[in-house]
Amino acid sequence: MSGVYLYALLSAAPTCEAGVGVCAERLRAVALGGMVALVGDVAEAPSPTAVTLRAQDGVLRRLAAVVDAVLPVRFGTLVADDAALAAALAPRAPDLTRALGRVSGCEQMTLRVWGEVTATTPAPAIEGGPGTRYLAGRRLAIERAHRVPELEPARHRLGELVREERAERHDRPPLLATVQHLVPRGTGDRYIDAIDAARESLRPWRVSVTGPWPAYAFVEQAA
Amino acid sequence: MTPSGRPAAREILDTGDDSLVDLVDNLLNRGVMISGEVVLGLAGVDLIYLRLQAMLCAADRVTRRPAP
Repeated sequence: MSGVYLYALLSAAPTCEAGVGVCAERLRAVALGGMVALVGDVAEAPSPTAVTLRAQDGVLRRLAAVVDAVLPVRFGTLVADDAALAAALAPRAPDLTRALGRVSGCEQMTLRVWGEVTATTPAPAIEGGPGTRYLAGRRLAIERAHRVPELEPARHRLGELVREERAERHDRPPLLATVQHLVPRGTGDRYIDAIDAARESLRPWRVSVTGPWPAYAFVEQAA
Repeated sequence: MTPSGRPAAREILDTGDDSLVDLVDNLLNRGVMISGEVVLGLAGVDLIYLRLQAMLCAADRVTRRPAP
């Protein structure tokens, strides 16, 4: 199906030529109220291969060099035409605009926490009847799924760099958790230095870092 | 599928490249999702994600540092 392939939502149109996309198509900007969509006209959505994934990531990195806020769109997103694009995005414009503000001037660092055992945190006493205890237990479990106490010894070193955090626990040793940090653009090296300085204090847990990336993980509140 | 018939997920994840694994995670599991008018250019995202987990764990076992 031919259509309009969507790469990213932007705070403003690129100040220079956007170049070509995954299918070698010329990229163009579509103004949508307070934001801009970067799109390409393609014969069909690209298949996910190492080449096409790197190409799409490359488009986003080029954009980040010339646009303050870049909100990546999931790979494979194809709509029929510009009108369908506008119709799909219009109901969510307020959320998407907020998300653009969140990622403005920032990039993402990805931190993975490795180890054989998870950090233990004391379980708070829950009072009340069985229903109350059940619901409180469920709430604690949900909260715990997004907490990474293993990283506590490193937090004071990261504090001034990290604007926002998204954490997912996996708890499948050796992979315990993935943490995404939103940091100001250009501070990736300082972030890596801070993690390196904290490695000893993090033992027995190990961490690996990749990045900087476009802010892929900081758009979910707009979904 | 790739032109040779080899599953795309295997082609991507067999490279052993950590940054490529994170690229797969970022591009296929994150980013703005638009429902309805969208044709997702991929089937079996869950399968890829499971393989991603396996790949990450395998990479760590290969590169693990000696115990302190």
